Amino acid sequence: MNKKLEAVLSKEPSRRVQYSITGAILLILLVASSPALGGANMTSKGFEIGWNILTGIFTPDTSLLFGLGDSGVAYLILQTIAIAFLGTLVGAVIAVPLSFISATNIVPRPVVLVTRFIIMAIRTVPSLVYGLMFIRVTGPGPFAGVMTLAIVSIGMISKLFIETIEDLDTGILESLDAFGSTLFQKIRYGILPQLGSDFISILVYRFDMNLREATILGLVGAGGIGAPMIFALSAYHWHQVGAILIGLFLLVFIVEILSDKLRQKILHG
Amino acid sequence: MIKFEHVSKTYPNGVKGLQDINLEIQDGEFIGIIGMSGAGKSTFIRTINRLNDITEGQLTVDGVEISGLKGKSLRQYRRKVGMIFQSYNLVPRISVIKNVLSSLVPDMPFIRVMFGLFSKEDKIKALEALDRVSMLDKAFVRTDQLSGGQQQRVSLARTLAQNPSVLLADEPVAALDPVTAHEVMDDFRRINEELGQTVLINIHHVDLALEYSKRIIGIRSGKIVYDGPVAGITKDMLDLIYSKDGADK
Amino acid sequence: MKLYDKLFDAEQFTLTNGKTVSQKFTRTPLIILFLLIGIAVSVWVTGFSLTMLVTNIAGFWHIFGSMFPPKLSYFLQVWRPLLMTIQMSFFGSFFGSLLALPFAVLAASNITNNRGINLVVRFILTVVRTIPTLVSALIATYIFGLGTFAGTVAIFLFSFSFVGKQLFEYIETVDMGAYEALTATGANAPRAFVTTVFPQILPTYLSTALFAFEGNVRYAAILGYVGAGGIGMILNEKIGWREFQSVGMILLSIFVAVVIIETVSQQLRKHLS
Repeated sequence: MNKKLEAVLSKEPSRRVQYSITGAILLILLVASSPALGGANMTSKGFEIGWNILTGIFTPDTSLLFGLGDSGVAYLILQTIAIAFLGTLVGAVIAVPLSFISATNIVPRPVVLVTRFIIMAIRTVPSLVYGLMFIRVTGPGPFAGVMTLAIVSIGMISKLFIETIEDLDTGILESLDAFGSTLFQKIRYGILPQLGSDFISILVYRFDMNLREATILGLVGAGGIGAPMIFALSAYHWHQVGAILIGLFLLVFIVEILSDKLRQKILHG
Repeated sequence: MIKFEHVSKTYPNGVKGLQDINLEIQDGEFIGIIGMSGAGKSTFIRTINRLNDITEGQLTVDGVEISGLKGKSLRQYRRKVGMIFQSYNLVPRISVIKNVLSSLVPDMPFIRVMFGLFSKEDKIKALEALDRVSMLDKAFVRTDQLSGGQQQRVSLARTLAQNPSVLLADEPVAALDPVTAHEVMDDFRRINEELGQTVLINIHHVDLALEYSKRIIGIRSGKIVYDGPVAGITKDMLDLIYSKDGADK
Repeated sequence: MKLYDKLFDAEQFTLTNGKTVSQKFTRTPLIILFLLIGIAVSVWVTGFSLTMLVTNIAGFWHIFGSMFPPKLSYFLQVWRPLLMTIQMSFFGSFFGSLLALPFAVLAASNITNNRGINLVVRFILTVVRTIPTLVSALIATYIFGLGTFAGTVAIFLFSFSFVGKQLFEYIETVDMGAYEALTATGANAPRAFVTTVFPQILPTYLSTALFAFEGNVRYAAILGYVGAGGIGMILNEKIGWREFQSVGMILLSIFVAVVIIETVSQQLRKHLS
């Protein structure tokens, strides 16, 4: 028999015990989690609604889908993009200093522990809670959405920024030292160009995520495409629901492809 | 002229990097420094542009005692002494010419530094440095697209752009394959011959050192055990430089 | 870009030895221009106002401050919904990951040698992944009624699409030598898959599923907002009633639970890789 084959087969028995234990644990956890199935109340009406949403997607409200006014899908998409874009920028403005005081190669360990704990805590609060808090500051609307996304982004942006900062090549700084650069020149020509492209790539990635996040902010009245969808759903306007879902799908799908392309370009030239 | 007089370097943890070094280096020499790793080759070369400070003795360059240099005078001194490292120390995600231009930054006014506004003369200076190492056609390519040998040449061009009178190189070809290593060493030789810059290179690879240098300095355990022409390097001498059981340990 | 290069001349450099090189006109102004337009449009569309933010930010800190100290006794009412959230996450992640496996196999072009099937399955995964979890939870509450089941369905859908995509991309990178050898001896494809490819992808599969679970616990906390069960229900309620010390306690509980689960899961994932 083929050698590769034997090698694979010979690995099997040693893992069998491991597999069965894992399987048993999973089974126990699964049984313990079965209350998650509670609340299922599937009536014929539910079926009907499901069917209606499906037909709604295939027969969307075209005046809404192609409408260019304030309530058209195009404007809602523009607003959602704007919220995600500004939210990412504001988040970055807050995350940059936070990241520098959380990097082990910049500040001492105890400081890092404190700042990382803060970042983790910021990250735990769900976005909708921030949304509700910011509505008290800015009033309902997309502005609250911008601020919500800004705060929600801080966690991930800082985490990735910190990794980048800790990966800084100090050899470059030594070289700059060796040809007589001042501290400012070392930061400007040694540190900033190293961080620049990584930072931008991280922000593009986060923008992509924020866009998804922005689509749901409407639920708490923080703008974007989510709010009209809720209204349409609760009013049983299935064709409108369909139009909005199509817009949402296209938006997220296209932005994902573009942001992947952009990041490839930034990171690999 | 670089002059070492009773120079010693003791690291804060008590390790002796250099012990009682005495020698003179004339302008335009091509010197290969050989020795085992940890023998003090790097320390030796790094003291010359003050990346390491000496703890005893006197180190004078062109009549100036360099231990006394501080701040601005140190930075000005370093403009004359270019240094090249084993790891090319280039910023990978910017263009080659931007990397080369960074060595001109210390001579630029603040506003230009701040916004990265390089004058046309500066750019031509950088391009000419790249041309010297046959990298002109890669000037506007992103640095991370280059091979290791090409990156080391860019690093050399960056140092050349600042027009130093002394070139220090700390294991510049250690990370390169033999063919590429020869190409980079050829660049060093050409620069030494055409521009008359003093070249000091640390090489743990003896063959390369003997092939390119005119003078060899052998270091063992922080001491100079050989200083003379290439012809004087015999097998016994190599055994002494590379012997493990240092008598002074 | 071609038009841009035509509009703005490349800069010519002549070296002293007569060689010339040209550099395309810098793109920086163009990028800055696009960014500025983007910012201006976004500020206009969203009504972003720094002055309003500065004058009213006190309100944010006021709410934040009134969460402290968290009302510890409230934990008695918190732990059940919190547990439910974790159960929803686990159940949804488990079955989502389970269903993802056959779909990933169908989407992977090196195992399923049919471009049509590959594309259809990938399209399904993409569509499901594109719909935000909260939106699918919302729709699920309309179909299945209010309650945890709707939330479980939403988490299930997300895990399915997330694990499915990660897994099929990984399957396409595995070493196919053993698989080909076994099919060459006459074994049927499913059998060959189970004995050769599956052991290779298993660690990554489990690790991805765990990663999805971690994220889901965090995310499930808000599903209650649309009535899809879990701790989000009481969170929403307490914010509505302005009982911020209770809100503080809920957030603290979520924080602790998330930290514990992430730590355990990260250890497991480290062990797997």
